[in-house]
Amino acid sequence: MDFFDRQDKARRNTKLLVFYFALAVLCLVLAVNVAVSLLFTGFTNYGLMIRNLNPVSSANESSLPGSQVELLFWVTIGTLAVILLGSVFKTLQLARGGSAVAELLDGRLINSNTTDADERKLLNVVEEMSIASGVPVPQVYVMDSEPGINAFAAGHTTSDVAISVTRGCMKLLSRDELQGVIAHEFSHILNGDMRLNLRLMGLVFGILCLTVIGRILIRTRGRKNPLPLVGLALIVIGWAGVFFGRLIQAAVSRQREGLADASAVQFTRNPTGLADALKKIGGLTYGSRIQSLHAEEASHLFFANGLGNSLFATHPPLTERIRALDPSFDGKFPYIVEGLISAISPAPGAPQRLQQIRAVQAEAGRFAAPFISQHAVVANIGQATTQHLSYAADFRQAIPPALEAAARDPLGASGLVCALLLANEPSMQQKQLEDLATGTSDAMRDETVRIRPEIQGMQLQAKIPLLDLALPALRHLSPQQFEQFRAAIKTLVASRTKADLFVYMLQKIAVRHLDTYFLSEQRLVTQFYALRPLAPDCGVLLSAMAYAGQENATGAYAAFAPGAECLSHAARCEIPWLPPDQCDLSHVDVALARLSQAVPQIKKNVLNACVQTVAADGVIQEGEAELLRAIADTLDCPVPPFVQLQEASAPALAED
Amino acid sequence: MITGLMLIGIIILLGFFVLMFVIGGYNALVTLRNRYRNAYSQIDVQLKRRYDLIPNLVETAKGYLQHERGTLEAVITARNAAVSANTRAAQNPGDASAMKEISSAESALSGVMSRLFALAEAYPNLKANTTMMSLMEELTSTENKVSFARQAYNDAVMTYNTRREVFPTNVLANTFNFGQAELFVIEKPGQKEAPKVAF
Repeated sequence: MDFFDRQDKARRNTKLLVFYFALAVLCLVLAVNVAVSLLFTGFTNYGLMIRNLNPVSSANESSLPGSQVELLFWVTIGTLAVILLGSVFKTLQLARGGSAVAELLDGRLINSNTTDADERKLLNVVEEMSIASGVPVPQVYVMDSEPGINAFAAGHTTSDVAISVTRGCMKLLSRDELQGVIAHEFSHILNGDMRLNLRLMGLVFGILCLTVIGRILIRTRGRKNPLPLVGLALIVIGWAGVFFGRLIQAAVSRQREGLADASAVQFTRNPTGLADALKKIGGLTYGSRIQSLHAEEASHLFFANGLGNSLFATHPPLTERIRALDPSFDGKFPYIVEGLISAISPAPGAPQRLQQIRAVQAEAGRFAAPFISQHAVVANIGQATTQHLSYAADFRQAIPPALEAAARDPLGASGLVCALLLANEPSMQQKQLEDLATGTSDAMRDETVRIRPEIQGMQLQAKIPLLDLALPALRHLSPQQFEQFRAAIKTLVASRTKADLFVYMLQKIAVRHLDTYFLSEQRLVTQFYALRPLAPDCGVLLSAMAYAGQENATGAYAAFAPGAECLSHAARCEIPWLPPDQCDLSHVDVALARLSQAVPQIKKNVLNACVQTVAADGVIQEGEAELLRAIADTLDCPVPPFVQLQEASAPALAED
Repeated sequence: MITGLMLIGIIILLGFFVLMFVIGGYNALVTLRNRYRNAYSQIDVQLKRRYDLIPNLVETAKGYLQHERGTLEAVITARNAAVSANTRAAQNPGDASAMKEISSAESALSGVMSRLFALAEAYPNLKANTTMMSLMEELTSTENKVSFARQAYNDAVMTYNTRREVFPTNVLANTFNFGQAELFVIEKPGQKEAPKVAF
């Protein structure tokens, strides 16, 4: 099952979920109706009903059913309205993405240039995972008031993900264990679980609303006041709704947790890290419990059960999860007390292992241009492995300190992105820098000039990861500063005389991920379920890629043909071959925007065609590979970096 | 009977809207407050970096500027005052007195720093010192980062203050004690710019 199948499956699960909820809502409405008719007609007309049993009296017979139908009609409307409004309210609240959930649970955003050792460690682990999987670095939150060990990832797409961990998780876990937990969360991101989880949160809240209103009504006073009774009934019914909600939460969540554990191990190739983290949860007094009032709404998002073990556990039992990773587990948890743990040194073998890997990588000349087989590209999407992870760790080590410091500061990160977009010719560069100074400020230009030499020595392959690393700091811009920055980098790309597809895509990646953060209303919904209406867009994209990779028109057509052929098969129509002026950057922009609204399987076909086009001359060069990664990113398909495969047999890696 | 029920329904709906408004407004205020507090921590990191650089700079300059001891001491005093003011502001960003204190301490520090830079102009040997050169370069870049982060903080404070002043959120702000946040401004217009360094 590849990335696209898993995404599809998640989408199907969403439909199932909506069906379940419709069922639950129906049950709820029925329950409210029964309760209300019992309360009003049952009690107030108790005497009446007794008399009704007497066949002689017939005066009231006709009025009663009529009024009851009307009553029940209004009750039904009311209940539905409350559930609907509640769900809509919550969904709107969550529209901002992962950060909304993290803030709801009292998360504190960790500063991109924090100096706290624990926070730094956590950020480093997250950054490594991001580079390894090709997902832009998410926002990282810590829940300071939670002593237990737990974590979650939330968001709609890869650009608005927030990963949030408890204080206990950050302080009590060693680096390896933390890596296991974070890898588990990244699996959720790659499996498409997050969007489903957010939908679930919105819907459950609608049903929970009944309980909240019931609680308020129960406090009203007054003689012969039926409101407290209605309130009581609403609470009972509301809990019935929560019961349904939890049941579905648990059903959907449990199997996905097992899957995420498995992918996390595939990712880190280190089952002990994750197993040790789970053991620590078992040994800690607080376990994985979340104390926040909103824990109930979000229980299905967490790394481990947030509400204690029960029938509705959203996760499989701890011992079961540990045994799956470590069959020799005897069921005894280590005794964990907060404060003691910081004295314990990290697992001994880890640093040596890392050093060994590094030594081997240095020999192999890791940053040399890789040769990539064309079949590996699409299969790799969303499938990060240990090799990618060690590549990422290595890459992060190799970044010069000045560049690393820049990527963590808002001004530095802005300068870094601008420096990535500068042209190579000095005269062109001079003009770009002048534009930059007028568009933003002198400070921004100075920063760009300062960073530029650091970047010039770097491989092409380093550009996308660097951009990804700069994103968290860029989210610290104020909206006004972002507006300026956005306009400035657009000008930077537009002012280049020779259009460069890759540089343009870099700019597009930055703008796309930041737009979702700063302008939250820009979320696109899936609109295309068939390839056919997208044929012209595919034509634009493939033609543009063909021109970018080839010197002359004949060569370009030769590159275009194999890609177009494999697509026209799927679309059952011709993919148009376009002259250069009909597939320039603005056309590509429109085409990509439309393609990103297609269902996962269409994206898979399109990416496959792109691979065919760049591989038409027999090899995929470094530049082409990076262009592919950039295009896949705009379609929301994270591609891990292309690492050299022969290193899989390197001695240091063979030992585990 | 039915009208009574409709009344209840209307009351429930109204109650619902009020509740949603209260929750929504409150959460928005909390989010905006977190945002400007977070923005201050960006300033904090860069300020600390700057405070660490200044003693090194003074140490390097000492050998060359033996007759300017007064200025050097003034730099150190102003730096220490700014350090303590920043500690207070970082604990409670937006608090009026803390922000005024850091504003004036930073203004004073910028003042003496530009005096030091002006002095350094007169000593070609000092200007040619490589340690001095890299320190000054580092300091300018940090200065730029501070003012950029300060701009972001002030933007965030403005957004928060506007939100807490407009109707109907102001009712919530008063009920739940969301105080006015203070801007971080460097007071004297001449010192708004980072000290110019020329080589």
